[in-house]
Amino acid sequence: MADKGGATPATYSPSPTTGRKKPPLLKEDWIRPDGRGFHQCRPALLDMHRFLSDSKCSRIDGALLIGGSAKRHLGPVSTRITSGVHGSVQPDIDFFRTGAVNAASGSAYAEIGNTKVIVSVFGPRESKKAMIYSDIGRLNCNVSFTTFATPVRGQGSDHKEYSTMLHKALEGAIILETFPKTTVDVFALVLESSGSHTSRCLGFGKRSQLEIMLCEALLLIDSMFLCNVPLQEVIASDNISECVSGDLPVVISCASLALADAGIMMYDLVASVSVSCFSKNLVIDPILEEENCQDGSLMITCMPSRYEITQLTVTGEWSTPKINEGMQLCLDACAKLAKIMRSCLKEAASDSQE
Amino acid sequence: MGVPNASEDLSSEMEVDAFRRLFPLRFFERHLAESIRPDGRPLGKARETSIFLGAVASANGSALVKIGSTTMLTAIKMEVMTPSLEAPDEGCLAIDFHMPPICSPIVRPGRPAEASPVVSKQLSDTISSSRMIDLKDLSLVSGKAAWMAYLDVYCLDADGALFDAALLSAVAAISNLEIPAVAMNDDGKIVLVSDEDGQKRAQEPVNKEKRKLTLRSIPFSLTCILHKNYILADPTAEEESIMETHVTIVLDTSGQLISLYKPGGPVLAYTSAIQDCVAITRQRVKELKSFLDKENSAMEV
Repeated sequence: MADKGGATPATYSPSPTTGRKKPPLLKEDWIRPDGRGFHQCRPALLDMHRFLSDSKCSRIDGALLIGGSAKRHLGPVSTRITSGVHGSVQPDIDFFRTGAVNAASGSAYAEIGNTKVIVSVFGPRESKKAMIYSDIGRLNCNVSFTTFATPVRGQGSDHKEYSTMLHKALEGAIILETFPKTTVDVFALVLESSGSHTSRCLGFGKRSQLEIMLCEALLLIDSMFLCNVPLQEVIASDNISECVSGDLPVVISCASLALADAGIMMYDLVASVSVSCFSKNLVIDPILEEENCQDGSLMITCMPSRYEITQLTVTGEWSTPKINEGMQLCLDACAKLAKIMRSCLKEAASDSQE
Repeated sequence: MGVPNASEDLSSEMEVDAFRRLFPLRFFERHLAESIRPDGRPLGKARETSIFLGAVASANGSALVKIGSTTMLTAIKMEVMTPSLEAPDEGCLAIDFHMPPICSPIVRPGRPAEASPVVSKQLSDTISSSRMIDLKDLSLVSGKAAWMAYLDVYCLDADGALFDAALLSAVAAISNLEIPAVAMNDDGKIVLVSDEDGQKRAQEPVNKEKRKLTLRSIPFSLTCILHKNYILADPTAEEESIMETHVTIVLDTSGQLISLYKPGGPVLAYTSAIQDCVAITRQRVKELKSFLDKENSAMEV
């Protein structure tokens, strides 16, 4: 982490002529990284169980929603989505697998879209440091990123708030009374991020550079993408800062699966889903390209079988009916996601019994 | 955990388990006397190994390697730097080894594992002294621009023989590395050239096509435990913690010795023991090379 950029000789990633890192990000690469990653991942080492999820349908539905109005500037997106609808689904298949890390008491691996996350759970074990006596258990969460998780190297470490958000999201679901005096550690490592937060990170302290980049990006994608979003607005939404990004919901869902794998008592599995708002439309489980031009975002973390919410984050511009609609979308998707997670656990349990 | 009323075989199982925990060394020695290890391996056999290339889509080269349950993920990202005055036509390879808290119960956030800087140093020493990569290969424009290859190895699951797995994943990622096609623009900045935009051919391409590095020789390693007269190849974390004398031998594909590392330990290494270790390593290197070649040719198809 120390060698992030400024350490030895200053380096930069060769950007395409437009100033953004990957030129085909909005073109062919949009399909490729997804398609390739999945194609090769599944039969190989990770040997993940494949869950063709129902929540995928809601994703596709949601995305089609923008496909309608924004088809003009999201050309490649809609092709991808349509191809998804027609069955050749490579991108956005949900994978969950428990028992990814043998050294941990419980662990889970999740691969949703481009986001790849491993969560390990250790404990309940002795509380470290001179902690005051507590007759309920403690939960300790940490989220870190690999240096190559983000398109620009080493930017994942900017997300310190994730650890706290994960803690808050899980706290309410765990029956802390079952492990008094001890600590359960939940550690997450984001292997690859959907990239959704990187542009926002650039927004801090580097305003001028960001503006240049945005201008260049606008010139390039002009008619394709951002055409009706004035520059000012983009920058403004960049400063909303604590926006939820595509990674956090995955981290949270994956962490609850790892907790279940470790045998930590919970009231229910915790599932998390986010939604982006684009003027009139809602897109579920947004990715980089979508989040970059969103007006607002909403993330719900809930325990679907109890119909209880453990965390709710709303940022940006929302109207009341839109919030209602967005919450409903999220809750539905959470319920579906929890179903997939549960089936993953069942499968793991029946595998181990054999 | 006493289970007095449990059925016969369960109680005997508990006893074995208890014995293993209470007298780990005696437990292992009993196995070693029978020339077998608790996980069913013969002494000189490494664990099952698998390599998966291109695991990280956003990186220029990547590999996921599993040796037993030890798992390593390596990704290489290529960035551009101004080469130093001393070596104007050489690029640079920066190797880093990370042990995030997910990989082992002994690593806590904020407190890096003791082993990680050691393995990190060993890795970069091994790769640079094996002369696997010609740094001139990473040059772009002499004196103006060269590649800086950031190679990051992440340990996802630590179960012994960390260096072996880390080295294997590093070399696998290097063999998977594809240098992107770039050009230098008017400001002297290096920019990517994508295949589609033919109209941008105005700039002079520095690296016309995506290319792979030519690797001169590939280093592979094997760690062995020396205990009394026994040599145990590819130890698990449990074995490493009980028997403390390790020898790590790195050979390249032509069988040349690249490094030999014996960080102390109570057992002295006699010539014959070292020779035996080298012989086992030689065997292992062949095996690893064929694994890697197989994966690489599968990638090309």
